[in-house]
Amino acid sequence: MRPRDQGVLVGTMALEEGARVDFTRLRKDRRERVFEGMEADNLDALILGRIGDVRYTSGARQLWRAGVNPFAAVCVAVRETGRVHLLSVWDEGIPPEIANEDLYPMFWNPGNLLQAVGAIPGLGQAERVGTDGLTPMFGQVLPALFPGGELVDGSPAMARARSSKTTDEITCITVAAAIAEAGLSALEQALVPGVTERELLGVYEECVARLGAPNPASESAAFATAARGPVRFRYLATDRPVGEGELVVLSPGALYAGYEASLARTRLSSGPAPRGAEALAERCWRGLDALVGACRAGNTGADLRRAWESTGERLPSVVLAHGLGLGVEPPVIGLGRGDGAVLQEDAVLCVQSWVTAEGTGGVLERAVVRVGADGPEVLTRVGRFAP
Amino acid sequence: MDGLVLLGSSAVSYATGALAPGDDSGRAGLFRPVAVVVRGADAPHLFTPFWDGVPPDLPEDHLHGPLFPDLDDGIEHLTQALGELFSPGARLGVDDQPHAVLRNPAGFEWVDAGSVMSPVKLRKTPDEVACIRTAQRINELAMVEAQAILRPGVRQTELSAAFLRHLFALGASAGSIDPIWQVMAPTKDVGPWTSHGDLAYPTATTDRFLREGDVIWVDVGILYEGYASDYGRTWITSAGPVPSEQQASQFRRWRTVVDTVLDICKPGVSALQLGRAAIEANGGERPWIEHFYLAHGVGTDSAEMPLIGTDLGEAFDERQVMEPGMVLVLEPVIWEEGASGYRSEDIVAVTDTGWVALSGSSYEPFEVTA
Repeated sequence: MRPRDQGVLVGTMALEEGARVDFTRLRKDRRERVFEGMEADNLDALILGRIGDVRYTSGARQLWRAGVNPFAAVCVAVRETGRVHLLSVWDEGIPPEIANEDLYPMFWNPGNLLQAVGAIPGLGQAERVGTDGLTPMFGQVLPALFPGGELVDGSPAMARARSSKTTDEITCITVAAAIAEAGLSALEQALVPGVTERELLGVYEECVARLGAPNPASESAAFATAARGPVRFRYLATDRPVGEGELVVLSPGALYAGYEASLARTRLSSGPAPRGAEALAERCWRGLDALVGACRAGNTGADLRRAWESTGERLPSVVLAHGLGLGVEPPVIGLGRGDGAVLQEDAVLCVQSWVTAEGTGGVLERAVVRVGADGPEVLTRVGRFAP
Repeated sequence: MDGLVLLGSSAVSYATGALAPGDDSGRAGLFRPVAVVVRGADAPHLFTPFWDGVPPDLPEDHLHGPLFPDLDDGIEHLTQALGELFSPGARLGVDDQPHAVLRNPAGFEWVDAGSVMSPVKLRKTPDEVACIRTAQRINELAMVEAQAILRPGVRQTELSAAFLRHLFALGASAGSIDPIWQVMAPTKDVGPWTSHGDLAYPTATTDRFLREGDVIWVDVGILYEGYASDYGRTWITSAGPVPSEQQASQFRRWRTVVDTVLDICKPGVSALQLGRAAIEANGGERPWIEHFYLAHGVGTDSAEMPLIGTDLGEAFDERQVMEPGMVLVLEPVIWEEGASGYRSEDIVAVTDTGWVALSGSSYEPFEVTA
């Protein structure tokens, strides 16, 4: 087939001919993968509480919250009926394949919630019920809903379903990447000596919200690296004004339909670059190129680690890579984890290179990479840092 | 219990005071900070990637790198970390159990941490109250920027943009929820279908264009040093919004309900009494949505105990007796079929003799002094 530029897909407005992401197909593909996973792992039902798993399985557009809450029975898939049930009081944001009778409302009294979940057709006969987590309370009361059945780990089935991306999912991540790139551009424009990291964070969030993505992938979006003394990666924005001649990490992300892309570039605040900045930037890019090059189907996390080590850099204080999809997903590669993780074709990874030099600062570069059949494909754009 | 293992964002924040960026839940989960509290010890242990969010008074030997408790990969680190702090078979309170935690090679007895966390969070110290007040002030100031651009043609997401632009420069530690700008349909019937037939609220924000006269119920929350704010108001979309007489009367009814509740709010009064007073002030009709409450507490969680008027029932509400340090977010809803309704949120802290207001913004475009 003739290769075709996909640029028309990079937008959030529906087009009358339907050129952009086909969300009906996206949801159908995801749902099929979940039920295939249940079949393969012999799970009669899945009870899900992790936001990414719930969104993947249900396709519902629910209220976004930052942070992570304990497990709760938010979504139930039943193999025998092929139906997906969801905790929702209303039908707004609920896709048409989930009927009103498939919804169960929220309760503050756990007994009432349990009764509602227990009424889900087919759940009572389930013999193996997978969950993606528990709490002591749910661990105690859920088994009473399927007498004789057992609770098992359903997370491998979900992880397999989610790890390799459909074409529609890749498009969503590409749209998120374009929004993140806009965030980078806004950050670059605002980066002048005297601006604070808090102001930069506001500039970034305003930009991505105006493009329709009001919930940031992460609030770790900008920090000035120390030009003197030890250089440490920082996560929380401060009131400290950016000084002249500082290396500043700009790391915007974005979420589109729940799909995340995150990138990072390091820029000079103004004036002459600190001594050694050029060499540091080169080291950083060697690291990133090595990581991107290792993003091949069948490679393991250990291959990524060895690719990094082959550049002569010490292992950094941050992870080398993690999965991306509906937010951050496994694997996590780095910080002693992920050596055994095998990269699947059409997996999407966020890879990052963080190098530091005392007296100069730090340089972070981060990219989103699709593990393609013909090798790695970088989904994020924007120019390299060359002081 | 021999200790606590806390994995949820708000519980870790409460137990340690550690800050974390307000990240999407996938990232917040995989890179989650973990708090471990050993019974009888002076300080909690904190396992976190966010070293710059660590409170300065945490002893150095209590600070550790991230644990990744959601990953089977590296489960030996988790086992080792807990093994150094607890004997095999220890009885541990836990708030969340990813499967790696459930593998539990040390044979810990896991029990619900809620029996410890819920009561200790109920009464706020003066410092906690100050944090909530500060969070609310920051939130209110940032909302001025959003309200200033409200007019026909503005998208919901543009209101979010205006709000978020100023939030961090004003001092917020983190965002916590998708800012809500829900347009209320004039009747329940033409609004979203609901399982209980009552209102759907709050629904997620989109790029919807707002139109002249749209009544929007806004609801936004942020964090300051781990403590949540809760800003709720009713706005009218227009370049020069003027409430109709009916809308103004809805507001006055809302004010009457809140004033009636506050008139009797002091230590010793039960949640049931407060709820009944609100119903009476609203002419016998319950002034809150079926799946919610007249009021909820706020702290490191955006909604926590006390809860007034939920499906936990009247007997539960009767046992919830106001005590100094409890915080109430009063959010009655006045609804008139055909004419939409009015909803706002006012926050008070219960004092030794009554209450003190923690929220302070105006009710524009309704009466400025209420």
